[in-house]
Amino acid sequence: MDGIHDLGGMQGFGPIPVKSGDKGFTELQDWEKRMWGLARSGIAQGVTIDWFRHGLERMVPSDYLSFGYFNKWCANYFMLMVDHGSISMDDVKRGHLLEPWPAAEAKTGADIVALNAKGDISFLVEGAAAPAYSVGDRVRTLRTPPKAAHTRLPRYARDVEGQIIAYHGAHAQPELGAQGLKGGEALYTVVFSARALWGEEADPRDDVTLDLWESYLVPA
Amino acid sequence: MATFDSENAARLHRELHSHLPSDPALRVKTLESLAVERGLVASETVDAWVEAYSEHIGPKRGAQVVARAWLDPAFRKRLLENANEALKEFDYQGSATGHLQAVENTDVQHNMVVCTLCSCYPFSILGMSPSWYKSAEYRARAVREPRQVLAEFGVELPDQVAVRVWDSTAELRYLVIPQRPAGTEGWDRDQLAAIVTRNSMIGTDRDLKGEGA
Repeated sequence: MDGIHDLGGMQGFGPIPVKSGDKGFTELQDWEKRMWGLARSGIAQGVTIDWFRHGLERMVPSDYLSFGYFNKWCANYFMLMVDHGSISMDDVKRGHLLEPWPAAEAKTGADIVALNAKGDISFLVEGAAAPAYSVGDRVRTLRTPPKAAHTRLPRYARDVEGQIIAYHGAHAQPELGAQGLKGGEALYTVVFSARALWGEEADPRDDVTLDLWESYLVPA
Repeated sequence: MATFDSENAARLHRELHSHLPSDPALRVKTLESLAVERGLVASETVDAWVEAYSEHIGPKRGAQVVARAWLDPAFRKRLLENANEALKEFDYQGSATGHLQAVENTDVQHNMVVCTLCSCYPFSILGMSPSWYKSAEYRARAVREPRQVLAEFGVELPDQVAVRVWDSTAELRYLVIPQRPAGTEGWDRDQLAAIVTRNSMIGTDRDLKGEGA
C-alpha cells in the first residue's frame, strides 16, 4: 500500500537533526531503552518481520509522523499483542491482567549476549525458482505495486529503469511474509541513476541502489 | 495467532490511539507490565538487554572491523565477500547482520546508507541507530538530495566523487568502510578503531582525522 511510511523522496521536510538526533544508546531515556529491551525479548508472539513492519505502516498516519521511533514501536507492540490475542483491548485499558500467567524465566547478561549472537538470521529460502535475471541485465520496476497490503517497492522507484548489480539468492518474500505465508523469490540489488529517478534536478554523477524482489521487475 | 489482516491492524491502531496515555514513558511502562504479567518476559531480561546494548553491542564493534580491514588485506577481502562470516572472527555477528554487505569508499565514490521504508540498521555491529537516521527528514531526503544531506553533516566532496545511496529495502544491511586517513601510518588496530566514527560507517561522515589533523 502507498502508506505514510513510504518517505523516500518526499519533499517539504526540514534539516536533518544532525546534532539533536545524535545520542548513543546510553544517553537515551529509560523508557526508550526499556522499549528496545522489550522488543529484543520477543514479546509479540507469532510475528514475521514483514507483519511487524506492516503493523507500523498501519499506524494512525499523524502518529506515524509525530511519534519518535520507540513510541511507534510501543504502539505497534500493543497492536501486535492484541491482534494475536496475547492480551485484550480491555487489558490495555486496565493496564494489567485480571489473572497473571506463570512468570517468564529471567535471563542473565551472558544469556543475552549468546542470544544476540544467534540473531544473524538468514532469510534465504531453499527450493525457490531459479533467477530470471543475471547481473548486468537492464530491468524496469513495476508502475503499480503488487496487490498485497505490504510491499517493499517504494513509490519513488516505480516505473524506472535500472541495472542489476548483484543477485542474493531467493529471499523470504515480504508480500507473503506480511500475510503469514512462506515463500522465497530471487532478490537483486538494482542500481538506478539519480537522473532516472529524479530528472534534471539530480547530480549526473550519483546513483541509488535498492534491493528488489524479482516480481517487482520486468525486462527493460 | 496473528490475524495477518491489514485492516484489523489499522482498526486496532485507531482504537489504541484513543485509549493509550499520551506520555510515552507511561505507555511503555504499561506495555512492560502487561508483557510481564502475561509471562512473555521477565523485567530482569529487559534489564539484561539494556545492559548488553549499553556495554557490549555498539559502534565500537564496527570500528574494530574497519580498522582490521585497513590493516589486513586478506580480512578486507573476506569482509567484502561475506561480511557476516567475517564478523564471526570477532564474535560480532547477531541481530540484523545475517546478510551484511560491506561497501568501500574510494577516491571517486562515496557510499551512504538509508532505509526509506522503515529504519533498518545492522544493530549487532553498530548498536542502536542514531535518531537522525530514523528521522523522516533523513529517510525522505537521503535518496533525493544526498549531497545537500551530506553538506548538513559537514561532509565536503571533491569534484570527482560520485555518491551512491544504498536504500535497505530488503534484509541486506550495509556497512560503509571509510578510507583510512593519512597520518595513521604505523598505528595499531585500537588506535585506528578510535578514529572510526559511527557516522562514517553509515556514510554521513567521510574524512576521518589522522595525526595532526
